[in-house]
Amino acid sequence: MSASDQIDLPKGMAGGASTRRILFNHLAILVCWVGLWEIGSRAGVIDPLFFPRPSDILVGFWRLYITQGNIWFHLGLTMAEVVAGFVAGSALGIGLAFVVGLSDTVRRFLKPYVVVIEATPRIAIGPIVIAAFGFGWTSKIVIVMLVCFFAPFVNTLNGIINVDRDQLDMFRSMRATRVQTFRKLILPEATPEIMAGLRLAMASALGGALVAEFIASNNGVGKLISTYTGNLNMASAFVCVLTLSAVGFFILRGMEWIDRWLVFWTDRERTEAVGRKRAQRWQKGGKL
Amino acid sequence: MATDGFAVPQEKHMPPKTAQISATDSPAVIAARRVRKTFGDGRVLALEDASFDIRPGEFITMVGPSGCGKSTLLRIVAGLIDHSGGDMTVHGSAVTGPRNDVAMMFQKPTLLAWRTAVENVLLPTELAGAVTKADREKALSLLELVGLKDFAFSFPSQLSGGMQQRVALARLLQTGADILLLDEPFGALDEFTREHLNVELMRIVAEVNATAMFVTHNIGEAIFLADRVFVMTPRPGRLARIIDVPFARPRKPELQLTPEFNALVAEARAVLGGLE
Ligand SMILES: Nc1ncnc2c1ncn2[C@@H]1O[C@H](COP(=O)(O)OP(=O)(O)OP(=O)(O)O)[C@@H](O)[C@H]1O
Ligand SMILES: [Mg+2]
Repeated sequence: MSASDQIDLPKGMAGGASTRRILFNHLAILVCWVGLWEIGSRAGVIDPLFFPRPSDILVGFWRLYITQGNIWFHLGLTMAEVVAGFVAGSALGIGLAFVVGLSDTVRRFLKPYVVVIEATPRIAIGPIVIAAFGFGWTSKIVIVMLVCFFAPFVNTLNGIINVDRDQLDMFRSMRATRVQTFRKLILPEATPEIMAGLRLAMASALGGALVAEFIASNNGVGKLISTYTGNLNMASAFVCVLTLSAVGFFILRGMEWIDRWLVFWTDRERTEAVGRKRAQRWQKGGKL
Repeated sequence: MATDGFAVPQEKHMPPKTAQISATDSPAVIAARRVRKTFGDGRVLALEDASFDIRPGEFITMVGPSGCGKSTLLRIVAGLIDHSGGDMTVHGSAVTGPRNDVAMMFQKPTLLAWRTAVENVLLPTELAGAVTKADREKALSLLELVGLKDFAFSFPSQLSGGMQQRVALARLLQTGADILLLDEPFGALDEFTREHLNVELMRIVAEVNATAMFVTHNIGEAIFLADRVFVMTPRPGRLARIIDVPFARPRKPELQLTPEFNALVAEARAVLGGLE
């Protein structure tokens, strides 16, 4: 499904020993790659101007994180843009989807706009946004917002619309109020889809912020990359890229974890665990 | 009795006292007078004037080919859709919308995937107000009644289709409604499970003193379960014949092999006639 599913290490099917061996194999292969790269570069097979030596990159890490320490500021700024844009964009997307999804008239009225926006590459509006909001972080947040808006919007809308008719009738026949139907049926029913939308949004949020910084910026990791590349300081540019890989990895993992925690019923192991917990709570007479 | 664990307060299943106030000359719990339903601005006649009375505790089955208006009639009784003409009364008062004394069960279990079996059963109570300790015990005893004592804390995804419908049945009973509308409740299950659940359903409905309207596509099943069978024909949907089924209860599956039973099957088939 998602990229992070594919790099999932196989679960220890035959116990921890086998997992450790697989991990060891992966590490060994990685070391070989890096070694070959280093040797190839020193032997003049690989041009170190564009593909810096692993040793140079290592030195670059030391420089950017410790001696100069300048990446912290830019990374912090970029992450702030990502988080703010993601929160604002997806909140807007989900909120609007609920307004639209719960009213047939609004939905019919908005449909053509949705189709047009869906077909438009969001990043194309980037320069216009920058012209309107300036070079500062506001324009970056707005761009991340635009990038993060659509997936949660569409998914939430789908989640709401696809609620089973019989289930709605069931709630109606039990004389549920609108609020009850929303809270106890529509919202949980749409949650898996909403989460999938949020994961998509998060995956593109970082990219959105970087592109925005490429276009026009004085600060941020994107600006750092384009500056280093412009100065042919490739080792430092690689440090930035590798940093972003790590950040992206942890963000996606985090989203996955939240998804699994929230939408427990689509996962067999989690379902069993939650069932046991609920049984205990019931015995103690706790709230459901 | 096999179900001595069943501790549902009986008065919950009685018709509401207020229902008797309304002027009516019939003791029927459900009374239809020329009830009709059209769709699409009157272009599609889904149900042609249907008139009938259903007495307290009766088990009515409805049989007929697809599109003859079985679900439509049931949904009118449930107050889920308006009828286009005629009078539909339940417990002497006109049906204007969903009501507490009527509960409906569908072909799909319509369980909430994020709730355990017992939490699903408690849903109607929760929607009606606060859940008390007695409600919780009732939910557990209903799960026991439908044979799912050990699965109270299983999630729907951990249960088979038949077990899911049992949970839905327990939830139906948890509403405390004394009129149960069942729209092909076991239609999606295999034949063995379906027969088994049918027999249990008969027992349970009798035990809680409920009145039932049960939709099926199967003539034999319709006769086996029913006090009276509503035979319906399509285009337009019409209540063509009401067949009395005189056999004593409890009924055994062997009943279906007797000539008397088969005579009723033949009668229903004759009504459905050319409709295969
Ligand atoms: N919402 C609707 N809008 C338009 N037509 C409808 C609607 N609901 C039902 N109908 C029509 O009314 C007729 C009766 O439908 P109904 O669902 O009551 O049949 P049924 O006997 O329950 O069939 P089945 O055995 O397939 O469930 C059908 O012709 C159907 O197409
Ligand atoms: Mg139907």
